Amino acid sequence: MSVSIHLERRLNPPLAMRIAVPAAAVVAGLVAGGVILALGGHDPIDAYNSMWEGSLGSSDGIQASLIKACPLVLTGLAVATALRIGLWNIGGEGQLIIGATAATGVGLYATSLPGPLVLPAMILAGCLAGATWATIAAIPRALIGLNEIIVTLFLNYIAILLMDHLIFGPWADPKAFGFAYSRALPDAAMLPVIPGSYVHVGIVIAVVVAVTCWWLMERTPWGFSVRVAGGNARTAEYLGLHISRRMVIVLALSGAIAGLAGAIELTGVTNRLQDGISVNYGYSGVLIAFLARGRLLGVVVAAFLFATLVVGSYALQTTGVAQPIATIIEALIIVFLLAGDAALAFRVHMTRAPHALEPATAGVRS
Amino acid sequence: MTFWLNSVSVGIVLGTPLAYAALGELIAERAGVMNLGVEGMMLIGAVVGFIVTVRTQNAVLGMAGAGVAGAALASVHAVMTVGLRVNQIVMGLTLTILGAGLSAYLGAGYAGRRPGGEINAIPIPVLSQLPVVGSILFNHDVFVYAVPFIAIGIWLLIYRTRFGLWLRAAGEQPGAADASGVPVFLIRYLAVIVGGGFAGLAGAYFSVVYTRAWAEGMTGGRGWIAIALVIFGTWNPIVVLVGALIFGFVDGLNFQLQSVGVPVSSHLLAMMPYVFTLVVLIITWTRLRRRRVGMPEGLGLPYEREAR
Repeated sequence: MSVSIHLERRLNPPLAMRIAVPAAAVVAGLVAGGVILALGGHDPIDAYNSMWEGSLGSSDGIQASLIKACPLVLTGLAVATALRIGLWNIGGEGQLIIGATAATGVGLYATSLPGPLVLPAMILAGCLAGATWATIAAIPRALIGLNEIIVTLFLNYIAILLMDHLIFGPWADPKAFGFAYSRALPDAAMLPVIPGSYVHVGIVIAVVVAVTCWWLMERTPWGFSVRVAGGNARTAEYLGLHISRRMVIVLALSGAIAGLAGAIELTGVTNRLQDGISVNYGYSGVLIAFLARGRLLGVVVAAFLFATLVVGSYALQTTGVAQPIATIIEALIIVFLLAGDAALAFRVHMTRAPHALEPATAGVRS
Repeated sequence: MTFWLNSVSVGIVLGTPLAYAALGELIAERAGVMNLGVEGMMLIGAVVGFIVTVRTQNAVLGMAGAGVAGAALASVHAVMTVGLRVNQIVMGLTLTILGAGLSAYLGAGYAGRRPGGEINAIPIPVLSQLPVVGSILFNHDVFVYAVPFIAIGIWLLIYRTRFGLWLRAAGEQPGAADASGVPVFLIRYLAVIVGGGFAGLAGAYFSVVYTRAWAEGMTGGRGWIAIALVIFGTWNPIVVLVGALIFGFVDGLNFQLQSVGVPVSSHLLAMMPYVFTLVVLIITWTRLRRRRVGMPEGLGLPYEREAR
């Protein structure tokens, strides 16, 4: 007699499960990470304590998480926006970098601009550069159907090399002695901080962008038409919608958001163009958008939680845990979250009956 | 003249690991599963292959270990995407991050060490004595010689065997294939795991055979290029191999130009392979669109028997 397992789609998992399953996934990821920490000769409890202290457990940690959340909200939004029309923008990394690069160019060379205009000009340059970078992928996708995943990815490498060329070459800081960063930007190019904290205003900008995107996509006819085009191409064609035009516009918008992330990270945090201005923000944005199930406001929450994880793993490193271990723990938590997400979508039936092989319930695997 | 000869020879060596990784990805994609974790699997292969070689002083064991390691990471992808139906793109990206972290962790004590064992070039008698082509084509290691046979073998497997028919069916129309008795799940699992083994080998080719050293993140994005090569090669193993060799040549040209001291920034030169591939992709794809060949119809979609 064999045990057979049926999987059945669960359409609306109860709210309790939607909270409990991801929580259990994070715990499972931390336990698995704890094993790796212990193998590496660290005390997992101590390590996680410092992780908590460094992220949600202290005022400094929360502020650091908010700073880290800013680029992640934006790259997450960039991905979620593109997903509305069914495109995967894996190029947030490159769009962010090219955005930061363009903003640096304005900051370094547009010296005749009056002080109050410097920041807006840099941010605008960042958005435009990000949009342009994404459009390079959008046009072949819209016109000839070339896979946008691969093109956006390639553009990441090209953007990084272009930035490297500039910061090692024409824009190099003469005092950097071969380190990879540009000259410092003028003071007028720094984003102000929120009074009473050391968090720059970028997070406010990011939330405003999130709400704007949500409004645009959920509350305007154009946003609805984008969803139709992304959901069912044939319906969209019958309705006379220009799918390819919308693809280009949406991907350009997506790139602009990622470019904005670059300009903000530059003006809010680094103050100069440098290698590592993006710490996988673009790729993290894909995971964030997915964990938020593509919901634009959900991205804000998912990005903040993701940021606490990243900031926590920095705190972990200050206790002597090697950076790769922190990366592994992050990745493990994501793997468990994804597995939990999948588990939520299905209900498992186990039957122990010889007549389980009914053709009507063909979900039989033994 | 020697400049070009060197470039071709280096190109063959650089193209070989790309061909392995791309052929592995091709097998998985033919079964309908996109594996964006190739980069992570190559890194895991590179580090495990290197460690095994250092420990055993035997490069053959090292390469075998690398294949197993790549397949092991790929089996996670298979369980998650085929079994649990997790989104293939998101899962692949996660595995690339995991592979990068895991390989850096495992390889921490191995940077700067020499592998001990090695895979030697085997000059082919007589042929390697030929003028010009002898040294370019017939003085390589066994992995270089094997790759055309592997590409042809995969072509035969896909188009001339029952298994290949099943593989294509699983990738094109999993529902119909399942209904006619093709073990869709089994085939998808197998294809992803075998593909990962290829990626592991490709990674170890860099660490054990080519540079004979381990460095964090040493594959430098070549896993992504492998994925692009599958698209470039329209899911045909022979064309994919040709693409890998062309790409290897452009990549090698970059090193050659740097070594002769061209007055162009090394960063701009390093951009060349990416720009080149992008341009070629756009050209091939424009041409292809009229013929509608290539991409498996079920690519990227999890197969849900319940939703049939």
